Amino acid sequence: MSRPDDFTDTDLSAWLDGELDAERRAQVDAWLHDNLEAGARVRLWAADRDALRARWDPVLGEPLPAALVDQVWQVPALPRWAQAAAMAGLLVAGGVIGAAGMWQWQGQRPGSTLAAGTPAGWVQRAGLAHSVYVAEPLHAVEVKAAEEHLARWLTRRINIEVKLYDLRDEGFELVGGRLLPDAGGKSAQLMYENPQTHQRVTVYLRKPDADAPTAFRYVQQGELGMFYWVEAGAGCALVGALPKERLLALAQAIYKQLPSEQGANAPVR
Amino acid sequence: MSAPPAFRQQLLAAMPRLRRYARSLAFDVNSADDLVQSVLERALGHWRQFDPRRDIVLWLLSIAHNAHLDTLRRDRRLDVLPPERVTEVLDARQPLGGDAGLRLDLTAALERLTPDQRSALLLVLVEQLSYAEAAEVLQVPAGTVMSRVSRARVAMRDWLDGSTTLAGSVRAAPKPDLRRVI
Repeated sequence: MSRPDDFTDTDLSAWLDGELDAERRAQVDAWLHDNLEAGARVRLWAADRDALRARWDPVLGEPLPAALVDQVWQVPALPRWAQAAAMAGLLVAGGVIGAAGMWQWQGQRPGSTLAAGTPAGWVQRAGLAHSVYVAEPLHAVEVKAAEEHLARWLTRRINIEVKLYDLRDEGFELVGGRLLPDAGGKSAQLMYENPQTHQRVTVYLRKPDADAPTAFRYVQQGELGMFYWVEAGAGCALVGALPKERLLALAQAIYKQLPSEQGANAPVR
Repeated sequence: MSAPPAFRQQLLAAMPRLRRYARSLAFDVNSADDLVQSVLERALGHWRQFDPRRDIVLWLLSIAHNAHLDTLRRDRRLDVLPPERVTEVLDARQPLGGDAGLRLDLTAALERLTPDQRSALLLVLVEQLSYAEAAEVLQVPAGTVMSRVSRARVAMRDWLDGSTTLAGSVRAAPKPDLRRVI
């Protein structure tokens, strides 16, 4: 048990920071009552503490610099050969798609184009839905490709025209589709599989939000790559654990087959 | 394999806290964000070392502490700032809002502390960490944090009390450059 005059600046400082146990705190409380000079000193420390907080707390409310947000989402660069392949793919895409004047290459860092620093919520859901269902050996789809009514059923449910894209030229066959809950509505997922490698990709379709950006974008999250875009009334995300240039080839194949009112004849936004 | 998206989301969520600490250590916006950038770089490069049961803020503050020490060591090896760059460096400092006089004094008082005292003080007062948490960030015993905080408080107060009269005489005979150098 310490005598009152044992209280040092270290004790008082710890008292102010709430670091003393109850017994010792009570002793300091009582002691400060009778030691006005020490009390005044502690009050000045408290004022200094408040001034320091006032000086730097506003930083918490500052918008994050885009460069730092970009850095968080940046993935290691592709090997040089893959970059070259992706660029070659883009040049082809430029010929096919640039003519339609609608697609805009936005790079692979979502932070550079979206204020929130992450792809829109629906793109995240597309990625999640992909991860959940490609892993299902038996129940990967709700309705098999062979069933006539798949496209009609999904079209009716999600209120945009669903077409069963033919990706066989790219080595992928339609497995089937399913209806999914989406924020405030429904979405559809089509699943494709490469019969040789058993790799699967999914196409996620939904009616887009009114203010959804229409640009053609790529995002890589871990193993998964996603191309996504919004085009004349349909939001579309292609998801797969494939090299970027392979995924791009599939995205192009889908784009070429978009239903007429969503495809190349659609008015430029 | 690069850092998973969940880890990146956590980094993003912790970034305001990280920036506040960096700003209080480095004073000006640009060097503070340089510090944040090197923390993010280290965190993304060593994400496997992060134990997800721990608080990511503490982990990042600890990386910031080490990165800041590296910067101090490096700066000490550099030449003294050439006079023609002094204005430029001072201009880079964040404009001071509110009671600029008081805040300038506070900042000046902080700059006079040893780096050890300063980081302990900022972690406990501004970041509002407990002594145990600050000890984890600084990798010292909690008792050391306790004495550093206390000594930092006393030193800062001494300087502020002493500087009041000094600042008064400076203001009486205005020398525009003098105030900025503090």
